[in-house]
Amino acid sequence: MSADTTTTDAPSLSKSEAKQATFIDTFAKIFGGHPAAIVGLIGIVIFVVLAVFAPLIAPQDPYDQAQLDILDSLQPPGSHLWDGTPSLLGTDALGRDILSAVLYGLRISLFVALVAVIVGSAIGVFMGLLAAMKGGWVETVIMRMVDLKMSFPGILLALMVLAIFGTGIDKVIIALIIGAWASEARLVRAVALSELKKEYIDAARLAGLSDWRIMARFLFPNSISPVLVVLPMSISGAIGAEATLSFLGVGVPITEPSLGLLIANGNDYILSGKWWISIFPGLVLVTLVLCINVVADRLRDHANPYLRGKD
Amino acid sequence: MSDPLIEVDELTIAYPMADGRAFRAIDKFSMTVNRGQIVGIVGESGAGKSTIGKATLGLLDENAVIDTGGVLLDEVMVTKLEEHAFTDIRGNKVGYIYQNPMTALNPVLTIGEQIIEAIEANTSKRGAEARTYAIELLKQAEVPLPEERLSQYPHQLSGGLCQRIVFAIAISAQPDLIIADEPTTALDVTVQKAVLGTLVKLTRRENIAIILITHDMGVVAEMCDYVYVLRHGKLIEEGPTGQVLRHPSKPYSRELMSAIPRIDTKVHRFAVPGGLGNAEDRERAIDYLMARKADAGEKGAPLLSVSNLSKTFTAKATALKAASAFKAVSNVSFDVFPGETVGIVGESGSGKSTVGRMILGLHTPDRGYEITYRGRNVDDLKTKAEKLAHRQSLQCIFQDPYSSLNPRMTAGDNITYALRAHGTLDKAKARNLAGDLMELVGLPRAATRKMPHAFSGGERQRIGIARALSFRPDFIFCDEPTSALDVTVQAEILNLLKDLQDQLGLTLLFVSHDLAVVRQMCNRVMVMKGGEVVEAGECDKVLVSPDHPYTQGLLESMPRFRPEEAA
Repeated sequence: MSADTTTTDAPSLSKSEAKQATFIDTFAKIFGGHPAAIVGLIGIVIFVVLAVFAPLIAPQDPYDQAQLDILDSLQPPGSHLWDGTPSLLGTDALGRDILSAVLYGLRISLFVALVAVIVGSAIGVFMGLLAAMKGGWVETVIMRMVDLKMSFPGILLALMVLAIFGTGIDKVIIALIIGAWASEARLVRAVALSELKKEYIDAARLAGLSDWRIMARFLFPNSISPVLVVLPMSISGAIGAEATLSFLGVGVPITEPSLGLLIANGNDYILSGKWWISIFPGLVLVTLVLCINVVADRLRDHANPYLRGKD
Repeated sequence: MSDPLIEVDELTIAYPMADGRAFRAIDKFSMTVNRGQIVGIVGESGAGKSTIGKATLGLLDENAVIDTGGVLLDEVMVTKLEEHAFTDIRGNKVGYIYQNPMTALNPVLTIGEQIIEAIEANTSKRGAEARTYAIELLKQAEVPLPEERLSQYPHQLSGGLCQRIVFAIAISAQPDLIIADEPTTALDVTVQKAVLGTLVKLTRRENIAIILITHDMGVVAEMCDYVYVLRHGKLIEEGPTGQVLRHPSKPYSRELMSAIPRIDTKVHRFAVPGGLGNAEDRERAIDYLMARKADAGEKGAPLLSVSNLSKTFTAKATALKAASAFKAVSNVSFDVFPGETVGIVGESGSGKSTVGRMILGLHTPDRGYEITYRGRNVDDLKTKAEKLAHRQSLQCIFQDPYSSLNPRMTAGDNITYALRAHGTLDKAKARNLAGDLMELVGLPRAATRKMPHAFSGGERQRIGIARALSFRPDFIFCDEPTSALDVTVQAEILNLLKDLQDQLGLTLLFVSHDLAVVRQMCNRVMVMKGGEVVEAGECDKVLVSPDHPYTQGLLESMPRFRPEEAA
């Protein structure tokens, strides 16, 4: 080939770039130049570490009735317990150290929300894919169930479920799963319907592959990204919902207090000047949800091609 | 004659890339356009054709950097102007015509509002005077019933009509120059000819110069006085249209010209460099493919026989709309014999793809049809194994290479996933076969590990062909397999299909809107219009001296590219 066919190497360069794009590159691309999102991410990491290692960090095991002493009740922040342990954030009416209760409560809140959202999303994704793939009466049944669920206020639905099944961590998780799956199903179905029109699906059908295989290897991996983007937002929503249920007294049992229940505990004392019982769990709850939302916002903006390059 | 309107002098436009280097979209490009002249800029995708037009109107992306040179428009250096100064140039001095007329017009405003807005922005005419002028412009643009159009919305009009209205808006301010960026690519061929005729008439009358940006040599041959051939942002060749098209002096231009399919003569192969893979791997792939059951029924019998194929698409009644039915295909019958290529041509919406999809089993035809394949009625297949064998024996090469591969699988998995899923091949054998097939379609074996996004359109189409071949099919339905590709890539893919057909004895059903491509590929052809076959027969007959007026019309409106005749 002669001189006039010399090419710039831009196309081949973009190829090698794509190949070398590591996790760190992607990370830098998403969070670079967004200090709020980075702070949010650091916050999430700190909360998760605190929750996971709560038994090692907490000065007291708030579940162990034997460790509690009524003489320690309603101590203000910075005082010392009967046995000499410092109580950084004060104690509640049962003599429970607030710091320890918050750490264990964080654990419960995060656990409940994560399990509910992951199971709920998995059910939602499966239902959405199934509705799109099968069409006909399968789709009608699934989508009407979605409509039915969406027509109830979330809290009302959860209260109904808890009224029927009774309270307990497992029941709260079930209530939250029932609340979570529908929107994911609707989202996935919409994406899957547009993917189903693409030619690689036709090619898979011509290969004689079963609907289940097409769903698993073709439709699922190409329809999942929007769900991953809304996942953090669902988690913060579930944390809030669980806190609300516990605050209303129908959530987790008193022996395994979550953040919402701790806030409710202090509610009775807030007007008698014992502010620390509610305020500290409340602060943790607000900060946690805020951190997750800031990161979720960033992920959503990054995934939206219309906003890319504008920020 | 020498009255330069626009002078481009050694223009270089670069975009910074992620790694800090600069990508030169335009590299030292020079060009002169005189008043009233029609100049073509041709090149394949990524050549930088549109960038030149955008630079003239100050519409470059924010991160574009003009390294050297500039664009001198009527003695003003437009590439140095501030953004606000362009309001006087856009519309007023230079009109712009976009590729897709449907998106160039605002869908929520009437045609009248849009034309009158343009008139009032660029001329001193107001109110009733502007309205009269709008009607006058529409008449000049040969829009039928101009007064009624003023109160209509773009979605009520056809693409060709919309493009005429875009012309009317472009000439409303009597600009000196119109930049037309692929103005007819989105239109059917019969519409294209008339629309281009109007554009030439309009501009000749007003002495308006045109810069026509296109990839279509036929359009260039019919319209342009002078042509610039662009590749990767560099000027390859320039000259009067006749000279460049007839005696291209540079190797790239020669390759480009010889890659253009011609309607009047059939060539054995296009003269483009073909990428042949490793001979040994190709042999192995061919051995694998030839091992298919040579069970084509009796000798001389058709491989595929279709009768009374119809398809009605129904829209269910909703609260706002009554149920409606649309007959996409009606009563199509034909035979395809082993080893031959049958073409189906027609404009968009003629039902040509639907016919193929019904044969493949992707659509169920209306009752009363019969499809016989290898001498057996397809609906008599009962066992699961028979159905699977039938299904895999008919394969498809798709239109859009960007959506025909699963983006979440490597190229190799895309080719052999189904064979592994069915347990036909184990993992190691599948990997070997994928590599052999890649070499067979002219891609390196190592590329099986790459993901689809790392390949160009033409390369993806090759992977799609390899995937279709992996099932050892007898019959391949080619659904406009090259309409999304550049002309030289198209020539390579068509050559590849011809080679594969010669070696493997494949039977092809080839759908295209491009008569010239069908002429090059097919033995026999069917012409479809509105779901019916209007004419069928040998290519040499139907595409040379057609009987049906519709086919005659199609042939006449095709922009001709005949190097030896281009003046």
